[in-house]
Amino acid sequence: MKRNTLIVLIGAVLVIITALLLFVFQVRKSEEAVVTTFGRPTRLITEPGAYLKWPKPIQNVYKYDQRIQNFEDKFSENYTLDSITLMTSVYVGWQISDASVFLATFPGESAVSLPNAQSKLEGVLRSAKSAVIARHPLSDFVNANMQDLKFGAIESEIEQSVQSQLSTNNYGIRIEFLGFKKIGLPENVTQAVFDRMRADRQRLISLAENEGRKQAQIIESSADSEAVRTIANAQAVATGIRAEGEAEAAKTLSTFQQNPDLAIFLLRINAWEQSLNQRSTLIFDERYPPFDLFRNLPTNSPGRQP
Amino acid sequence: MSHEHDHTHPHEHPATAPVMPEDAGSQALAEALRSSFVIVKVAMVLMVVAFFGTCFFTVGPSEKAVILRFGKPVGGGQKVLLNSGWHWSYPYPIDEVVRIPITEIQKVTSTTGWYATTPEQELSGEELPAGPSLNPAVDGYAITADRNIVHTRATLNYHIDEPIKYIFDFVSASNSIQNALDNALLFTAAQFTVDDILTRDVAGFQDAVRQRVSDLVEQDQLGVVIDSCQVQSIAPRQLKDVFAQVTIARQNQGKQINNANTYKDTKLLAAAGQASAITNEAAAASANYVKYVKADAGAFNDLLPKFESNPNLFVQQRLVEAMSLALTNVQDKIFFSTRADGKPRELRLMLNREPPAQKTAPANP
Repeated sequence: MKRNTLIVLIGAVLVIITALLLFVFQVRKSEEAVVTTFGRPTRLITEPGAYLKWPKPIQNVYKYDQRIQNFEDKFSENYTLDSITLMTSVYVGWQISDASVFLATFPGESAVSLPNAQSKLEGVLRSAKSAVIARHPLSDFVNANMQDLKFGAIESEIEQSVQSQLSTNNYGIRIEFLGFKKIGLPENVTQAVFDRMRADRQRLISLAENEGRKQAQIIESSADSEAVRTIANAQAVATGIRAEGEAEAAKTLSTFQQNPDLAIFLLRINAWEQSLNQRSTLIFDERYPPFDLFRNLPTNSPGRQP
Repeated sequence: MSHEHDHTHPHEHPATAPVMPEDAGSQALAEALRSSFVIVKVAMVLMVVAFFGTCFFTVGPSEKAVILRFGKPVGGGQKVLLNSGWHWSYPYPIDEVVRIPITEIQKVTSTTGWYATTPEQELSGEELPAGPSLNPAVDGYAITADRNIVHTRATLNYHIDEPIKYIFDFVSASNSIQNALDNALLFTAAQFTVDDILTRDVAGFQDAVRQRVSDLVEQDQLGVVIDSCQVQSIAPRQLKDVFAQVTIARQNQGKQINNANTYKDTKLLAAAGQASAITNEAAAASANYVKYVKADAGAFNDLLPKFESNPNLFVQQRLVEAMSLALTNVQDKIFFSTRADGKPRELRLMLNREPPAQKTAPANP
């Protein structure tokens, strides 16, 4: 009896599992599913959960990842408005906007339909990118002046153009964001850029050397003139100080005016003493006191001999 | 007693029923079946235990988890996210546990602007030599605002701020972040000159890259927060020598200016010292002059009465005093006596006379 119950239980479980596999399917969060009945889309499921279906071949379920997918196109050449060859690659964040439309446009399982969709997207992207880049000069892509830089605007133009074509053709996909992933120049152009950069560097070397000399000369000549000015100012101040001293000394003039003869005599005496202060040679004769005392003294001169 | 015996006997009869004669093979088979059935039961019990055991799972300290029941998140709002610890879920395919590394620092690196190399080659210093040009298929670079070429790469550290968005809105959010970082490098380089990127405004360039990638992450709603962004930029290897020469020339320029500034400091300090000496000397001279004049005035006042009493005697006395003092100090004293005829002698002095030429004979005195 126990054995029979167990067999029935196991059988029931197996039947339930088989039934679940045949009649139930899950739609995961971030997924959408399209149910087809005899190949014709009959139900779109956008909410996650467990759903019932008829087993194959009556109904098929196609599940699509609803999340944003990354795609980047090939690094390809385009021409700017000023005829410069620019190589660009852009990345795109895209997602399935309508799973029913997507299934109709790109039939098959995800493994087949997603590469087909990306291939279609790449074609749309290539033509849109080429058209937009051709409307802008290189200065719109690279510019030190933020007012003239159109980098973000160009990305928006490409995105709008791609979005517009996807909507018009009703592919069931949409762009969430787009941006440049790589920007470059053809290989032979890079060599020309290097030549120009080398010339620029040589100019900068020369500029730095000359500028250094110039600035050093300016600093040194400025220092020289400032030093001269400082000394001249000091001399002017010194003259003023001396003038003040002389003015102060002049206050004693009234003292000397009591007897100008004595004052002049004293000044002359002082001057005389100071002039004979050191290493002087004095030549004198007997006419000047106190050497006039030698006058009329007997000498060894023939004329004076008695 | 016998009654009991009568009644018990029939009950005991089945237990003591006569054993059917069995051969040894049948007994062994029956025994084997019993053993197998026990093994099956034990196995089923173990399977049931294992089944419920797999329903338990742990969430680590640096992650959160979401249970998808039939594909739909269990709970609502913040309750969707399970914190660290033990949790229970139904086995697959009923429940699916999605783990999200939430506090762990994530890292992406952009090499879209870097030349072809590998970390191993960089570490070993065995990078391929630079050719005359850059091959767009393998060599990355950025074009600067002044239309030059520069190599630049960046490493971005971030953490997941909105795990539901990060996991369920993007097939590969980390790839989207890397794309944003690539774009940020190109966009920022397009508005900076090569000298700004390499020398003049390195920090400004890095900040601008970080700002751009933050803007893109926010605009694309990637659900992450940027923690740090390190940018490395170098000149093209083809121009390494000439860029180094510019650096040397600028160093020399700075050195020349420094030398000039040193000269300026020295010159101005010397001038200031000289100026100070001039004014101090003038002040001292002026003070001395005033002092001397006042002293002379004092002496004059003292001598005036003596002079007025006998001017001639005073003069002679002072002259003799002065002469005696002078004669003491004078180095050479030459006295000329009066000639015999009473006339003064004539004395001729030749000062600073040029030395006579060697060929000419000395003149007679």
